Amino acid sequence: MRSLFLIILFFNIIIAQSPKKSADSPCDDPLIRLAELEGIKAVPLKDLIRLKKLMKACERAGGKDQISKLYENDWNRDYKKARRMASWTSTHAMCVFVSFGYYFVGKVLATNPDSD
Amino acid sequence: MKSQIYVLIISLLPLCNDIAHGQPKLSIDMGVGFYEPTLTGFDQNETVQFPPKSILNKNLMFNWGIYYEFFNNARIGYNSFTSYAIGKSITLINSEAVFRRSLSYRIFPIETFFRWKPNVELNFTLAPIWGRGRIELDTTPGDKTDDWNYFINSFGGSPDPVSDMGATDVMITDWFGYSSMLGFRYYINSRIGVDVKGGFMNNSYKEENWRIQRQKVTGPKMKVDDLPIFSLKIIYGIR
Repeated sequence: MRSLFLIILFFNIIIAQSPKKSADSPCDDPLIRLAELEGIKAVPLKDLIRLKKLMKACERAGGKDQISKLYENDWNRDYKKARRMASWTSTHAMCVFVSFGYYFVGKVLATNPDSD
Repeated sequence: MKSQIYVLIISLLPLCNDIAHGQPKLSIDMGVGFYEPTLTGFDQNETVQFPPKSILNKNLMFNWGIYYEFFNNARIGYNSFTSYAIGKSITLINSEAVFRRSLSYRIFPIETFFRWKPNVELNFTLAPIWGRGRIELDTTPGDKTDDWNYFINSFGGSPDPVSDMGATDVMITDWFGYSSMLGFRYYINSRIGVDVKGGFMNNSYKEENWRIQRQKVTGPKMKVDDLPIFSLKIIYGIR
């Protein structure tokens, strides 16, 4: 057991990642990369201000297209995910629509028994 | 063998970091709601003069909520619509009371949606409601002053130092209901959106079901069933 633990510790040290170096260009910053790959919502709230600064710095460094692409991809990612109702959600939506219609049509067409 | 399983779990922990990126979205919202209940027990009360009805204390509700997107096209959450009324100097037999009333509609929605356009969403909400009515009165009962003076006098000092005391008591009722709403959401950016909803709610309120200090009492007549409801709110996507 102890030797297994030592082996894991040894390999952890040997193949450990080197400490994060600050990227030369703001456009290559890991935070921008994360926003590109996973979307802006994947960036933790505490890093949002830093992300905004990095985006501005990236735009100033000539990465305007990269940043506009990042925003566009974010829209498209959400849009593609939720463009069509999947599985049971359309049935749920139909139930809501029918109850909504039934209620408001009833409001308009129903007669009050007292008025007869 | 058991310790090897622990080692395996510890070794795999760093990999779990990748799973965290795929978490569904969490959003919070704040806004206002509008509805038109018939509050006969307050508005047409001939014995007690309640604050006059206005849009603020009758039709407007403050709304906040939190949603968790558990599926591509669906979210669940909690939403609270609360209407408040406050009145000072409500004349009662022994005191000029301060009156506070809140009607809360605590909604537990299941919302499905689809994106009509990249920044436009249509959503459909079906929700059970747990409603709560709360009436709070700050009164100045005389016997309370006597009791406190009797108690304080027992420590010595100047006799009967307290001339006025207040007491706050609350009467509460709960009811269940359901709601159905259609909504339109416009995303200003991928995190912030404006949401407009319209629909109806039905509440099974009964005036006999109020309680105060564990005693059952009859509360005000109110008609809060069969009500159209509208809401306007700002959404912020946390994740």
